Amino acid sequence: MKYLTILFLFYSQLSHALEEEIENWFNQESLKFLEIMNNSDRNNNENFEEYIKFITNNFAVKSIAYGLIPESIILKSNKSDLYDYEISFQNYLTKTIYNLSNSSTYAEIELIDIDLKDNIYQINSKMKEGKNSINLYWKVASINSSYKILDVIVENTSYFVTKKSEFSKILRKNNGDLRKLIEILNKI
Amino acid sequence: MKTLLKAIVLNLLIFFSFNNLSFASEADGVSSIRYDEIYDPLEPVNRSISSFNFFIDEVAIRPIVKTYKFIAPDPVEKSISNFFGNLKEPIQVISFIFQGEFVKSLNSAGRFTVNTITSLGTFDLASRIGLTKNETDIGLTLAKNGISSGPYLVLPIYGPTNLRDLSGDIIEFIIDPVSNNIPNREYVYIGDALNERYEVDEEIELIRNSSSDQYEMLKSIYYQNRNSQIEEDYVQNLPTPKIYIE
Repeated sequence: MKYLTILFLFYSQLSHALEEEIENWFNQESLKFLEIMNNSDRNNNENFEEYIKFITNNFAVKSIAYGLIPESIILKSNKSDLYDYEISFQNYLTKTIYNLSNSSTYAEIELIDIDLKDNIYQINSKMKEGKNSINLYWKVASINSSYKILDVIVENTSYFVTKKSEFSKILRKNNGDLRKLIEILNKI
Repeated sequence: MKTLLKAIVLNLLIFFSFNNLSFASEADGVSSIRYDEIYDPLEPVNRSISSFNFFIDEVAIRPIVKTYKFIAPDPVEKSISNFFGNLKEPIQVISFIFQGEFVKSLNSAGRFTVNTITSLGTFDLASRIGLTKNETDIGLTLAKNGISSGPYLVLPIYGPTNLRDLSGDIIEFIIDPVSNNIPNREYVYIGDALNERYEVDEEIELIRNSSSDQYEMLKSIYYQNRNSQIEEDYVQNLPTPKIYIE
């Protein structure tokens, strides 16, 4: 019984520490994101560079990119094609987030709560500007001892799910040709 | 006109029952829906209509929405949005009853009474006194009663829907106690449609600017939004990518 109590105390302390750690990471990175989003001093190119840095540091680009295409295509593709796809996807992801951020301005991201399910943190937050607010969920995993975003869900619309349906359609139309998908991503 | 609409609804519902038999697996559990394989047997036709809709939106609807956004001050936009929202409350009272959500049904009835009496629905006083807004419709009521979505449809001007939601909208058109008693109700529908288009303006811009396939993106967003209203724990049940070492 004594050991069980010690184990329980240890576990609750550990989970509390982890929760505090991810909370700090989220608060720090969301502030950085708002700063990039609302910075009107920089020109477009400089700001785009900032988005690239932010995405490279905080998004699980490889996991998202590979998750968006069927596993059979990953297995049959050569290393060079997969590498090109990763790079094209990273640019595409940056452009999407850049467009999304440029279409609106928000002053604050408020953390509502954090849930842990199947080793994935689900962060519930609100983006606010005056009386307007939008619901934002972030799915985050600890990869190589740093936190990486796997999906962003804006007002119930998941980035991962939306892109998966788009990419699946492109690949189906082009007989699973990954080069064709890369070509289309590079055009956007 | 009403007899014709009733006949359409009846036909659609008969089609539904066959559809439910043929695609029982889709109705097994909402969370099992694969968003990359949404049932879309009419895709070629839907794609053509979707392109037509994007074109009409670009040349006619978007300029109206942009002008409205530019001219109307925020409080006016809010009042108009509240007005159309208030007209939907009576149908929500009925929908919540058929979903077994009696408290929400009473809440909607209270909201409609308070907001209509105090401001003809242009100001949401009800929210200030604790009667918070809950949204539903007949399509969601059909979904919560186990009817599967049926095929995805894109209608001219009307936009994305599916057989279940379209049937819900037709039923609403027939039974709506408020709109049925408004003279020239077509103007109310046009106003409501423009207001709804105005409210999704940013999303439409995003689809235009950052999509590799506008049709697929719109379809996916449509289904995600509807499923989030149907399914509890929707966000938790969304698929997540497998982790690769970065």
